Amino acid sequence: MSRAEPNLAVNLQPEHVDTDSLLRSACGGDAKAFEGLVRLHQASVYSIGYRMLGKRDAAEDLAQDVFLQLYRKLDSIESIEHLGFWLRRVAANLAIDRLRRAPFTTGYSLESVAPELADPPADDAAGGDLLMARALWKLLGELAPAARAVMVLRYQEDRDVAEIATALDMPVNTVKSHIKRSLTALRGKMIGAQLITAEDLPEDRP
Amino acid sequence: MSEDIENQLRRVMRPVEPPAGFAERLMRALPERSPRATLASVAVLHPAPRASVWRRLVGPTALAASFVIAVVMGHYVADYQAEQERRAGLEASRELMDALRVTSKKLDQAYEAVNRPPQAPAAAEENRS
Repeated sequence: MSRAEPNLAVNLQPEHVDTDSLLRSACGGDAKAFEGLVRLHQASVYSIGYRMLGKRDAAEDLAQDVFLQLYRKLDSIESIEHLGFWLRRVAANLAIDRLRRAPFTTGYSLESVAPELADPPADDAAGGDLLMARALWKLLGELAPAARAVMVLRYQEDRDVAEIATALDMPVNTVKSHIKRSLTALRGKMIGAQLITAEDLPEDRP
Repeated sequence: MSEDIENQLRRVMRPVEPPAGFAERLMRALPERSPRATLASVAVLHPAPRASVWRRLVGPTALAASFVIAVVMGHYVADYQAEQERRAGLEASRELMDALRVTSKKLDQAYEAVNRPPQAPAAAEENRS
């Protein structure tokens, strides 16, 4: 008596999957459902690790630890929204811990961590993004762990300030000031890279 | 301008997929997990949540019971010690009163001996013959 199981390995976009029933099944011990949840969130968790730690192997290691923690704590997950928040919070805080524990071994190196950024731009638009990406990598490498996490959650995960503050357990004003300082520094780096001209600068600049 | 930079950042910071085979490697690394009832069946079978509630209450209940027992035992021990001290005090007081009584008696006898009038010489001679 064999039952056909849905192929969770392909086309797992949240809008195509009943994520609530996936979560319920995973909570009930269904390994396939858990794998489905992993596939849904792996890019987000892995990218948090990648942009925080700056290395692909460290990011994969972190993502694996996050999902192993999730596997043990599945009972405490209340909804699919809670799952997303939980994964982002655990991934960001785990990355901060690792950066603080080994700040010198987890450093950024543009060529080694993002070799794709060293390629020449294919066209102008892509070139603009590529220069921005270079400036961003440089900036992320210079930011303190908490500020780095704020930028990743704000712009990669598109989270609002209040949620970032809750996830990282810091005051809302601290999150705002991290964002403001980081954007200012990023603008400086982009000016340095001659990406933007003086006319593009905001009028209220000093 | 700020919005441009922010939108550009969002575009540049799109999530990237982990290396191929990540999910498979992760699933192989998962520890064994005993299969449990699904949430749907749990909703049908009410005893399970009740057991869960009981299990959650056992710890706090035991803690509260230990606290109450500790308080009651503390009161009992304190009362017992106070009673023992009171009895010891009474006993000491009684012994002191006895000692004072004996001392007072002895002092009375000594006083009487000292103040007794001396006997007359004739009477003393008569007594000798």
